[in-house]
Formats: sequence, structure tokens, C-alpha cells
Amino acid sequence: MNENVKAAKDIITNYRGRPLRIMEVCGTHTHEIFRLGIRNLMPKNAEIISGPGCPVCVTPVGFIDEACWLALEKDCTVCTFGDLIRVPGTEKSLAGARAEGAKVRPVYSPLDAVELAKNDPDGQYVFLAVGFETTTPSACLAAETAKNEGLKNFSLLTANKTMPNAYKALVGSADAFIYPGHVNAITGNKTCIELCEKYGVSGVVAGFTANELLTAIAVTLTLADKGEPFFRNCYPRVVKDEGNPAAIRIMERVMQPCDSEWRGLGVIPMSGMELREEFAEFDARKKFDMPKIEGKPNPACRCGDVLQGKCKPSDCKVFGKGCTPQHPIGACMVSGEGACSAYYQYN
Amino acid sequence: MSNNTVTLAHGAGGKQTSELIEKVFKAHFSNPEFTADDAAVLNMEAGRLAFTTDGFIVSPFEFNGGNIGKLSICGTVNDMACMGAKPLYMTCAFVIEEGFPLDKLEEIAAAMEKTAKEAGVKIVAGDTKVAGKGQVDKVFITTTGIGRIMDKANTSGKFAKPGDVVIVTGDVGRHGCTILLARDEFGIEADVDSDCAPLWGTVESMFEATDNIHVIRDATRGGVGTVLYEIAEQSNVGITLEREKIPVDDGVKGVCGMLGLEPLYLACEGRLVIFAPESEADKILSALKKGKYSQNAAIIGRVTDEDKGKVVMETEIGSKTLLPQPSGELLPRIC
Repeated sequence: MNENVKAAKDIITNYRGRPLRIMEVCGTHTHEIFRLGIRNLMPKNAEIISGPGCPVCVTPVGFIDEACWLALEKDCTVCTFGDLIRVPGTEKSLAGARAEGAKVRPVYSPLDAVELAKNDPDGQYVFLAVGFETTTPSACLAAETAKNEGLKNFSLLTANKTMPNAYKALVGSADAFIYPGHVNAITGNKTCIELCEKYGVSGVVAGFTANELLTAIAVTLTLADKGEPFFRNCYPRVVKDEGNPAAIRIMERVMQPCDSEWRGLGVIPMSGMELREEFAEFDARKKFDMPKIEGKPNPACRCGDVLQGKCKPSDCKVFGKGCTPQHPIGACMVSGEGACSAYYQYN
Repeated sequence: MSNNTVTLAHGAGGKQTSELIEKVFKAHFSNPEFTADDAAVLNMEAGRLAFTTDGFIVSPFEFNGGNIGKLSICGTVNDMACMGAKPLYMTCAFVIEEGFPLDKLEEIAAAMEKTAKEAGVKIVAGDTKVAGKGQVDKVFITTTGIGRIMDKANTSGKFAKPGDVVIVTGDVGRHGCTILLARDEFGIEADVDSDCAPLWGTVESMFEATDNIHVIRDATRGGVGTVLYEIAEQSNVGITLEREKIPVDDGVKGVCGMLGLEPLYLACEGRLVIFAPESEADKILSALKKGKYSQNAAIIGRVTDEDKGKVVMETEIGSKTLLPQPSGELLPRIC
């Protein structure tokens, strides 16, 4: 164990200040915090809770229903990040649709889906564009590539999300946020600084190694105990105040902000991204004249409360009983980055 | 064309079948016991025998560090070796897709010959079936093996005891990672090759150092992590691992980091997991470190009488957490 890790660990384990709730809002942080056993190090009066940071977890039920509709009714090949395949829709998951004969293809990058479309001109390929500012630029690049190459058989089903307004919706859920380093690497720190100065919301940007995570938590405990709002960038080797201008530009070229539904949080104004009019031909909803599809989540599932830090996964009645990683009822139990899944696997 | 590929006629039992057996299999597997009759006739000493069978459907059939032929010998040899059995005889059954290139079949047979020779096992009987195009994916092999268990060997997944050390014979997860990269589904390139190897020599060298070995298992599908959970349950003990002691190749580490995979759950095809009393650890390790396939052997953990049935990880920051159990199929057709 290196000296930095040891020093940060000492600060954390010896914290005796006022009671604090620290919310991490990044699926990779959720996973790493559990993997490293950081929650087991926390002192009695400081708690880490998981917020809506896993892209799969915040994607609403209706989006899965839309994807199943495209696959089953329109015979599209649905290309998606693997985790989404097992997320339950109202009646079925994409895995269920696949068992009924739908074509569902896991991909690692949106450009892989473009490549698949190019190699099969007779098929229709739809990429499920979910995720935050970290994955949205690559979805935009896929749309732009398809446009430049004149592809007629590729489109996006968008559910992209942006963090700024989600933070505002979460004010009061926690005493401080651990901001997602990968998102801030794209967007920069402007929003977080504004949240601190205008709304009194505290937080630190954290990286992903043991050293970076522990340092960010130690800094949070030290500053939060003083009671003044604060912002610190604890991931300066990657996150710059101005972010990544090239990634921001491509998002602005291809997409525009829109209202967006978050699982558990409902519709948050201007917290999503949709394709601009110039890219309408790559918008699967428009291209296939999709009817309005409203999803109905399983009423027993408390993923929504989990995502807002209102309850622990183990407070949900179906957790570990009807809902397990093998048979998930809610989205948070599906992805390895989901709070319920991590809680189930590491406890 | 038909001269260079396997055809349905090769599997029909007539002249062409004989030719295929003669030119490909007999040429590579020839030994005094290799039968031309319906069954091989073997002279066996009395004693305890280990008898096992395994099917191989790996895709792709050739990969960095080996091919399905080498794998099909290693898999069965290693299953016997884990019981402390010296592999004696094997049979192999091929199911080949029509149109499969003969030169590739030859390469597979050559790899089997070389690996069997290294393990000291004789291939004494076989079977060849040809399936129509699309009815099987290229080539599937089933091997069966019989071996004689050394008198001093008495190993089982049920025999782990509190106080035992847990040893792995080298870095973990290389085979699974190699296959994953060979499928080229993720657009990642890394310099990783399969650990696929026959391990009878490794086992024999340990038993030369000590008789006191409780468990030997080869960590194939599901990797070391799955094996540890099985043993924790079978022996009703807890297992505590030290994250920093687990050997992982840098390439494998990088791929796992990108894809969010746990190297302990990636398949190995040339790694043993060994449980033995702490008093024997040094003898076993020094024997292993002299071996061709076990130079990076390491103690990665200990058996406890707490947390029965569970595998606990001491993390790199000195905290403790459970090693999550694997869920679902990580990657199909790995071996």
C-alpha cells in the first residue's frame, strides 16, 4: 500500500465529525468502491450512497419496450451495449425478444454498429444510444459517419442523458457528491463550480484508482466537516476545467438538449439529448414512425428510490428474493455497475 | 477441391474414411496399442484408475498458443493429473464439418501428437464423423482418458482444511482472454497467448516433493474464482485471498480493465489450484518454480473456518470484501 493510500485511509477511518452522506454518481465508482471494500472502511458517521450514475439503471422501462418494438415489429437488428440486453421492459427484456426471434447484437462501440450496417445493406440496424456525456460523443460520431457515408440502414434510438440538471434534482439527497471523473473529462468543471457557487452544492471530482478514490473521499470528509460549500478537482491528471472541446463540439453538431425521463426520478427538464433536425433520418423513432410507447415498471421494484439514495437496495422487498442478478426485476440489479447488483454480489 | 477438404465421403466408412485415418490420424497417433479393430486392447496394472471424458468446441479452433487439438489433449490429461493419476491411454472422437481444410486437420492432429507425447499418454482409438455444412461449426473433438492414480495421491475438492494455503501455478485468465481477443468482437488488440499446457509433469513434481496435498484442481471454464467457490462449498470452509498476490499478466489486466472483467473468472487451460498444509508450502513452491509451466507459482490465499462457503478478498487498500460469484455465461465456447 503506498503512502498516499495510507494517509487517505487514515483520514477516512479516523473521521469523527458531523454525520455525512456522500453520493457517488458514476457506475464505475459504484463498482470500484465495492470491489476495493471502501464502504467497509467508512466510519460510523459517514456513509457512501449510490446515485443515478449507471446508464443502464437510469434508462426507463419504456425505452426497452421501444427497442423490443423495433426488433420484433420492424425486424431491425438492435445493436446495444451488452448490459442493456437483460434489463426488463414492461413485458420482456431484449433477451426475451431475442428468444422470440428478434435480432439483438451486443457491440462494444456505436461505430461497430455502423460497420455491421455497412456490411449488410439489406438489413436495418438500430443502435441503442444510452449513457452520459462519456458515451454520447461516440454515438454522435456514429450518426455523423453514417450521414457522411450516406447509409440508409442505420439509426439511433436515443436515451442519452446529461448530468447538470440531474444534480439539481438531487439537491438534498446527499451532503456532497463524488462527481464522475469520466463525465467531467468531457464536460469540464463549469457545472460543478456553478452548483457550488449558486446552489451551495458540494462535491469533488474523483478518478478511478484506489489512490484517487480514497483521496477524493478523504478530501470530501475534511471539507464537508467545515460546513461551507466546496468544489475540488481531485482528478486533475485527466479532468481540465474546460473539458474536451472536440467531444463537446461533436455533441453540439449532432444533438440538442431535450427533456428526458430517468428511471425513478421521472422527467427532468433539459436533462437529455436528442438528434438535431439535420439528423432526423437517423432518428429511429421518426424513421420507423414509432407510436408513443409508455413503459410500466414492476411496482414491487424500488430502483427509483435506490437511485435517489432514499433507500438501500436491501430495503427493497424483492431484493435478493425475486430480484437477483440471474433474474433481475429492476435495472439496478442487471449491470455490474448497478447499486443493487454490487450490493448483492459483495455482501 | 475435395482433395484439400474433408467431404461427407470421408465420414461414410468406406475407402476415403480409411484414407483419412491412414494419412492424418494414424500418421500422427501411431503406437503399438493404436487399434485397427473395434476396440483397443490394453494391459493394465491393478490399482486405482482415473477415468474421464471431455468435449471441445472452442471457437476459433486455433488461437495464440495452441489449437483445439492441443486443448483436447491438455484438458483430459489435466483432469487425470488433478486426481494424481499418470495419464496412460486416451481415445478421441472427431466431428468435422464438410469442407474443413485437410491441412488444418493435419495441424490439429500434429498438435495432439506432440502434446500427448509430452504428457506420456498414448492415443489408442478414435472415431471420425463428418457432418454436413452448417451442421457443426468446423471441428469438435471429444477425448476420453484413463490413468493410474499414484498410491500416495489422495486429492479431492472435499479435503481443503482451515490452515491450508492456496497456491496457483501461474498467472490467471490467459486462455479466456486469448479467446476473447481472437473473436475480435471488441476491437481490442493485446499481446496475450493461451496458457494451454499438459500438466502431468507439474503434478508429478509436486508429489515428488510431498505426499501431503489436499486438493488439486485445474481452473478451466469459470477460471480460478469458480474453482475456489466450488472448493469452499465442497469442503465447507472459507477462503481468504490477497488481491496483490494473485499473478495476472499485464495484457490480461489491461483487457479486463477495459471490459470490466475479473481475471479470476477468465478460463485457464494450464493452471492448477492447489490446497495443502502451510508446512508443505515451501516444498511445493520450490518444486513448482523449477517446472516449465509453473515458474510463476504463488501463494494467493488461505483457508479459514470463518465465512464458510465464501471467498473473501483482502483488497489492495487493506479492506476486505467478498469476491463476487460469477453470474451467467461470461463467454460461450471457450474450450
